[in-house]
Amino acid sequence: MKLYAYCLVDDLDTLDVQRPGILGADVRALKIEDLSVLVSDYQFDAVPVTRENALDHAAVVRSVLDRTTPLPFRFGTLVTEQQLRNYLSARKPSLQMRLGNVRGCVEMSIKIIWELTQHDKPNPPDAATNQGAGTMFLAEKRREILGDEHRSQAATEISSWLREKVSGLIRDEQVTLRPAEKLVLSAAHLVDRAKLHDYKEAVAAARQERPELRFLFSGPWPPYSFANIELEFKTQFGVS
Amino acid sequence: MSASVDQITVIDEWESSDISLLETLDHVLNRGLVIAGEITISVADIDLIFVGLNVLVSSVETAHEVLRKHQME
Repeated sequence: MKLYAYCLVDDLDTLDVQRPGILGADVRALKIEDLSVLVSDYQFDAVPVTRENALDHAAVVRSVLDRTTPLPFRFGTLVTEQQLRNYLSARKPSLQMRLGNVRGCVEMSIKIIWELTQHDKPNPPDAATNQGAGTMFLAEKRREILGDEHRSQAATEISSWLREKVSGLIRDEQVTLRPAEKLVLSAAHLVDRAKLHDYKEAVAAARQERPELRFLFSGPWPPYSFANIELEFKTQFGVS
Repeated sequence: MSASVDQITVIDEWESSDISLLETLDHVLNRGLVIAGEITISVADIDLIFVGLNVLVSSVETAHEVLRKHQME
């Protein structure tokens, strides 16, 4: 019998999770040293990626967010109890540090979409049409490169602008820029609950400043984007 | 920590129900604490929401179109 792991917490003596977990299984807290992991029994070898299972995972993690700030496990984490004990024992300092980093916070998500055509090809095509094929090819490549650079600069400007708007209101951030794509920016902000209202107002005001951009703003989430210690673990155990 | 947290809200021009689901999937499937080698998922019975999630990585807008087409089918 394996365990399906939902999230990790360290500051709750009792965890009374009322809702069922994956496949309707009861959710319980497995206390290991000073940490607790929300788990349910799981009898299969893999977790089907379905809407219901993903939402069940999210709902269990979400169910403790009112009382604490958990470190969510990624969907599909199946372990034996011994594996879980070994993992927590080996990584306890890092996990406690990570829990301390997110304590009292929630994650807010901002995705920004732009129209690529606004940032493509900053220079018009060369007027001369009697150039050779080689010259025209090089000119086109030059325009492409200039366009890439222009998009990168524009994306960086948006990122800097957004960071300035939420300055002082976030504890941490994870930002991904994709200048070549419509979804140009994905940001996860770690926000102290006491500052959440001010943060939302700041984002709302920022949206008004940039009507040419489309915003997808969601939250509060458990701190999924600030949970992972995967790289440290890989380094320790030599996993590449 | 006794103050309850707001319900998750999504603010956007699009229908929030679809985007809310995709945002949830984006968080649950792409992020979170990983125990190396212990993520065991099955996509044999892949459903369209997972297709939508893959699209979300590159374009939320396209994902919305995919879902809308799916709803029309």
